[in-house]
Amino acid sequence: MVTKPDLTVKFCKLELESPYMLSSAPPTCTGEMIMRAFEEGWAGAVTKTIKPDKTAVYDYDNRFGIMGFEDKQMVVFENIEEVTKRPLGTWIKEIKEVKKKYPEKPLIGSLMAEPKEDEWEALARAVSEAGVDMLELNFGCPHGMPERGMGAFCGQRPELIEKLTKASKQGSNVPIMVKLTPNVTDIAFMGKTAEAAGADAISAINTVLGLIGVNIDTFEPMPTVNGKSTFGGMSGPAMKPIAMRCVAQLCQATNIPVSGIGGITTWRDAVEFLLIGANNVQVCTSVMWRGYRLIHDMVDGLTQYLDDKGFSSVKEIQGLTLPKLTAWSKLDKDWEVVAKIDKDKCIKCGICFVGCRDGGYQAIKFEQGKAAEVDEEKCDACSLCTLSCPVPGCITWKRVKK
Amino acid sequence: MSGRTHTTVLTPQDRIKTFDPYVANLIDRTAWYEASRCIMCFDAPCVTACPTRINIPEFIFRIKTRNYRGSAKIIRESNIFGGECGYVCPVERLCESKCVRNNLGEEPVAISLLQRFVYEMEKPKGLVKFDKAPSNKKKVAVVGAGPAGLSAAYELGRKGYEVTVCDSNAKPGGLLIYGILPWKVAWSVAESEIANIKEYGVRLLTKKPIADAKGLLKDFDAVYISTGATKSAGLGIPGEDLPGVHLAQDFLYKVACYVKGEGKAPELKGKKVVVVGGGDTAIDCAMASLRLGAEKVYVLYRRSLSEMPAVPYGRKQAKEEGAEFMLLTAPVKIIGGNKVSGVECVKMELGSPDASGRRSVKPIKGSEFTVETDVVILAVGQKPDEAALKSFGVKVKDGLIEVDKNYATSIKGVFAGGDAVNGGDTVVEAVAEGKKAAEAIDKYLSGRK
Ligand SMILES: Cc1cc2nc3c(=O)[nH]c(=O)nc-3n(C[C@H](O)[C@H](O)[C@H](O)COP(=O)(O)OP(=O)(O)OC[C@H]3O[C@@H](n4cnc5c(N)ncnc54)[C@H](O)[C@@H]3O)c2cc1C
Ligand SMILES: Cc1cc2nc3c(=O)[nH]c(=O)nc-3n(C[C@H](O)[C@H](O)[C@H](O)COP(=O)(O)O)c2cc1C
Ligand code: SF4
Repeated sequence: MVTKPDLTVKFCKLELESPYMLSSAPPTCTGEMIMRAFEEGWAGAVTKTIKPDKTAVYDYDNRFGIMGFEDKQMVVFENIEEVTKRPLGTWIKEIKEVKKKYPEKPLIGSLMAEPKEDEWEALARAVSEAGVDMLELNFGCPHGMPERGMGAFCGQRPELIEKLTKASKQGSNVPIMVKLTPNVTDIAFMGKTAEAAGADAISAINTVLGLIGVNIDTFEPMPTVNGKSTFGGMSGPAMKPIAMRCVAQLCQATNIPVSGIGGITTWRDAVEFLLIGANNVQVCTSVMWRGYRLIHDMVDGLTQYLDDKGFSSVKEIQGLTLPKLTAWSKLDKDWEVVAKIDKDKCIKCGICFVGCRDGGYQAIKFEQGKAAEVDEEKCDACSLCTLSCPVPGCITWKRVKK
Repeated sequence: MSGRTHTTVLTPQDRIKTFDPYVANLIDRTAWYEASRCIMCFDAPCVTACPTRINIPEFIFRIKTRNYRGSAKIIRESNIFGGECGYVCPVERLCESKCVRNNLGEEPVAISLLQRFVYEMEKPKGLVKFDKAPSNKKKVAVVGAGPAGLSAAYELGRKGYEVTVCDSNAKPGGLLIYGILPWKVAWSVAESEIANIKEYGVRLLTKKPIADAKGLLKDFDAVYISTGATKSAGLGIPGEDLPGVHLAQDFLYKVACYVKGEGKAPELKGKKVVVVGGGDTAIDCAMASLRLGAEKVYVLYRRSLSEMPAVPYGRKQAKEEGAEFMLLTAPVKIIGGNKVSGVECVKMELGSPDASGRRSVKPIKGSEFTVETDVVILAVGQKPDEAALKSFGVKVKDGLIEVDKNYATSIKGVFAGGDAVNGGDTVVEAVAEGKKAAEAIDKYLSGRK
């Protein structure tokens, strides 16, 4: 029989059967939903953010927006949703139910409270005593909550990250993960602050503050709540590069495990996060878009990938790419090349020509019906033509000494 | 969203020169593009329209993530002839007809092209294998190695039964090998999938006709009959016994043997051919005749185009290749001395719809005319070999084996399915029936020690 690569991951004290967890968001809004997700194959879940009963929460109707591109209906998702509206007691009951039915699946409680140490300590105590395996401190939500001193308000202030992480540690006996916002100047610094305050792990990113669009017929900003809107949190596929940058910076700057979040839609995205050093990944928007069932291909595709590449476990790829990320000034200045067009592959579309003429170095000669040609003297090897050419492998690089 | 991906199709002039496939396959990039057209419907209607219930959105999604092997697993899990079906299914009336893109006023996702693509990506590494249960020592005999029989044999083999399949032909595969011609799909596709089935411990015995199905119960715990419907019906008009008149199934069997280099084809070079019938088999006969060098091919059908059961794609292909459709035309008599010289026909007119919604037809008095021809091929329906069914000893109704909802025949322990039961449907229906019968047989035998 075939031997399958080992997908298990050790995350602090937690044993994950695969690196895939659901992030704190609508897909983990109730115990019933989390149990269905576990049944479908998700390895772990972070609850929708839980808050003390005294913190009032409101959710506007029509709180989501999207941006598409060309044939893609959605590349960015935006929300102005707050944390859970459900009472603490309900969550405690449901956490117990989930842990009873799925004792082997890690369940992480996400927390948010006003920036007062005693509130965080009490909340951490209540939720960890309910039986979660870890706590995640939501210092990231960039809309609604910060207007009342919560979410990204804390994640943008190192002194609050420190104080509230310490307070939460005080209140609980399970590992603590700090979820950071990308809406800061230096996320690595925030990560180091959390680590110094005793955080056992970091998760990133929460959503990116944005404005998803304006309806040019009604002049209303989106998502429109009866005519008006506010800045919201962006997630989904187009946020992946920002998320990967943040995760890589955190992996470089700290010595605690990082749970990667942001724009993960397929196993391929997950592999990229693992390669830059993420211990595991969390997913939200793509599951909202297509359902828990995405886990099937996420697991199968990763298994197949590891097998094809000759790896026996997911641990072997974690961080493989990280050492290859360096400072701009340390890249190889002796790497000199020019573009080379394969005449036989060229379909004579002229795309490389027009790009190089109007957005490059006027280095491509092209005449209708003939293959395009590179003027090696003029080529500055910027890469534009190789990327915009619709034929894979048609434009390649030739080493030169300039 | 942009339109459906089309692959290269050889010109009609070029493709009738050979019996080879003439539709090119998708490649990596075009497959990825076409896959992105799938909306990934929940409880997708295309899946319900597939008799074997392949999880189509999932296999297409895996093309998009370039997890081709995972995609192949999804297809093979539901349909052990998934490659063959990708090529031969009449998708215009199955999965693709239910694609929600039709509702958007667009062409459906090219499911069959994507399914072929996945098979072609799967093949080089060897077809996907699943775990097999250890032998349970129970024995099942399967009579007929067509898609119905082989699908049942595979399912039972995987469950741990010791399965023996007997077929009268020289090669296993039934109509996949002796009916469907290679311009639709290379025989190597079915052959690879049959070889794969053997790996589940299924024994295949060829040139082994079975006459007495009940007798097999002496040596086997259960029997599955899947002998197909390989006899063509006639019309019962004068002149059907003249030399030059062929029955569709015999004709196509001979053509298949000829293409394999195992026999001679009917001599059609430079001849005029009349094919009678409006189904997919009639289209196949017309296309085979053109490939054998017929100078002119007429397809006679007694109703109009909108009643024609053949899928539009096949009709279009045959027409492009030069077949001429004579609609609302019925043969009355085949004329000739010692061989066929023509067909006397009558024009028909459409009446009001009957209970099933199909419009009735009646001859127009005095409209008789004659089509000159050298050859007539009757493709007006198929049926099982009645004498054979009788010898099996099972109860027969309207010329077909009678079964209950569990595919059980009148004899305890004897099950049946495929064309022999449904009267002639599709490969994918045969595969689905084989699967369901295997489940019923498993249930029946698990209850016994
Ligand atoms: C010309 C033609 C073209 C077709 N094209 C398509 C197509 O494009 N797409 C599609 O989906 N369907 C097509 N079909 C229909 C499809 O081939 C059949 O529905 C399908 O093969 C039925 O499978 P089966 O297993 O029931 O029978 P078969 O495939 O007919 O197999 C029956 C087997 O039983 C064997 N057998 C019979 N009697 C005995 C006996 N007494 N002892 C031992 N063995 C015996 C036969 O030798 C044969 O191998 C086509 C059919 C024809 C005739
Ligand atoms: C509608 C919505 C609600 C969210 N609510 C929370 C929340 O309550 N707590 C939290 O920590 N993150 C919340 N998030 C952020 C996600 O957990 C995640 O960090 C972010 O969406 C990026 O991942 P993605 O691209 O996979 O969606 C929410 C995201 C969305 C889209
Ligand atoms: S997704 Fe459900 S809750 Fe949200 S608007 Fe639609 S119906 Fe209402």
